[in-house]
Amino acid sequence: MWRPSNVDRPTGIFIGLIVISLVLVTLDLRAQGAGLGSTLREGTQTIFTPVQRAFSAASRPVVDFFESVSDLFSLRDENRRLREEITALEAEVQETESIRIRVRELEALLDVSAPEEVDTIAARVLAIGVSEFDHLRVIDKGSDDGIGLDMPVLDEGGLIGRIESVTDTVARVILITDPTLVIAVRVERTGETGVLKGRGSGPMNLEMFDRDTAVVEGDLLITADGRFPAGIPVAVVLEPARSEVGFLRTTARPAAAITRIDFVKVLVWTRDDAIVEGFEGGDRLPTPVPLDPSGPAEGETDTAPTTTSTTTTTIPGTTTVPGIEP
Amino acid sequence: MKARHAILVVLIVIVAVAVQTTVFNRLRLFDAAPALVLLVVLAYARYLPAEYALLTGFGAGLFQDLLAESPLGLWALVLTSVAYSVLRFRDRFEDDFGFVGPFVLGVTIGALALFAVLGTIFGEKTLADAGALKKIALPAIYNVALAPLILPLAPLSLGISRSRDTAFRL
Repeated sequence: MWRPSNVDRPTGIFIGLIVISLVLVTLDLRAQGAGLGSTLREGTQTIFTPVQRAFSAASRPVVDFFESVSDLFSLRDENRRLREEITALEAEVQETESIRIRVRELEALLDVSAPEEVDTIAARVLAIGVSEFDHLRVIDKGSDDGIGLDMPVLDEGGLIGRIESVTDTVARVILITDPTLVIAVRVERTGETGVLKGRGSGPMNLEMFDRDTAVVEGDLLITADGRFPAGIPVAVVLEPARSEVGFLRTTARPAAAITRIDFVKVLVWTRDDAIVEGFEGGDRLPTPVPLDPSGPAEGETDTAPTTTSTTTTTIPGTTTVPGIEP
Repeated sequence: MKARHAILVVLIVIVAVAVQTTVFNRLRLFDAAPALVLLVVLAYARYLPAEYALLTGFGAGLFQDLLAESPLGLWALVLTSVAYSVLRFRDRFEDDFGFVGPFVLGVTIGALALFAVLGTIFGEKTLADAGALKKIALPAIYNVALAPLILPLAPLSLGISRSRDTAFRL
C-alpha cells in the first residue's frame, strides 16, 4: 500500500512545487490578465528593464557585426531588386499624387471632412519573449512617452501587432502572428471581408465570408477591425483561395517584417476612434494608411530614438466628431 | 548550500534570461534560439543539493513566467520537472559527452513539448503554431551545441570538482 513515507524527500518537494505551479496557473487564468499576476508582471518588467537595456546596448555591436556578415552575401541582389522597385514606385507615386488631388476635390465637393492625422511614436525593440512560443516584443517606450493599451504597432511594411501591456518606460507588443489573435481584414482589391488568424511562425490563415469572390495570390489584406484604424496593410495572400466547409480559405504572410523588427511606429489611436469610425465612416471602403516605404517618417531618425519623437500618419475614411479627440 | 552560492545561482539565472530576451532577439539561426535558461537549470541541477536544484528550477521558471505571455506558473512547472529529471539521472552522469549530449537533447525536447502541450490545455494555442515542431527541435539542437560551454560553468562557479559524487557534498 502506498504511504507518504514511501516518497523520498526530493520527490515530495517536486510534487509540492508542481501543485503550487498548477495553483498559480489556475489563479492566473481565473484573473484573466488582471489581479496579482498582472501587477507582478508589470513590477518584474519594470525592475528587469534596466538589465535588458544594458544587455541590449552591450551586445548590439557584436550582433550588428554578425548581421552585417550575413547580409553581405545578399546585398548585391537586394541592391538590384531595390533599384527596380524604386523605378516602379516613382511611376506609382506620380499616379497616386494625381488620385490624391482628385480625392481632395471630391471630398470638398461632397463636404466630407478631411482625413484625420494620427500621431505616431517611434520606438525600438528592446527584447523578445523568453521562449520561442512567445509572440511578443518589448519596445523601449512606455506610458511616460504616451503609449497606451491596445494601440496599433506598425513597421514600414504594415501592422505588427498591438500594445498588450505597458509600464512607465517599456511596453509589450503582442504580434499579429500569435495564434490567439484574430483580425478582421478586407481584401484591398475587392473590398470583401474575412478573418485572419495567426499561426505562429507559419503562414496566417485567411477565411473569407463570401465564397463567390476570388482571392488571388498577391492580394493585399488591410485592417477592417474595430481595434485598428481601417486600411493598414496586414498581410499578403500567398495562394488562390479554395472553398472549404462554407468558407473560402487561403494562407497569407504578414506584410510587416515580423522576424526582423528593429524600429516600430506606435499609432496614438484608441478604441474610441474605432467607435467614431464605425458610426461615421465604416461604410466606406478604406484605403491603406500611407506608410513611407523609403525610410522613417518625418521626425524619426535612422538611429535609436533617444527621446520620444511624435509624427503623424493619415488615416483616410474617418471623420472628426466634436468632443471626441483622436 | 552557502548564501554565496545561492546569490550566484540567482545572478546567473538573471543573466541567462537577459541574454535569452535581448541577444537572441537578433542573433537567430533559422529563426530560432537556444533555450538558455533551461540549459542553465539543467547544468546547476547536476551539482546542487536536491531541494535547491528543484527550487532553482521553480524560481527560474517563475521568473520566465513573469516575463512571458503564458499563464503564471507554466514555466515554473516545466523547469521544476527539468530539475527533477536531472536529479533522477545525475548519478549516471559522466562527463563523457556521449551521454550528456543525448540527455540534454532529450530533456530540452521533453520540456518544450511539455510546455507546448500544457500551453494548449490552458488555452494558449501553442500547438496551433505551424512551426511548433521547429520551435521544439531547433532549440534542443542548439542546446546540445551550447552544452559543452554552459555545463562546465556550474561546477566552476560553485567551486567544486566535476566528479559526480561532489553534488551531495556541497
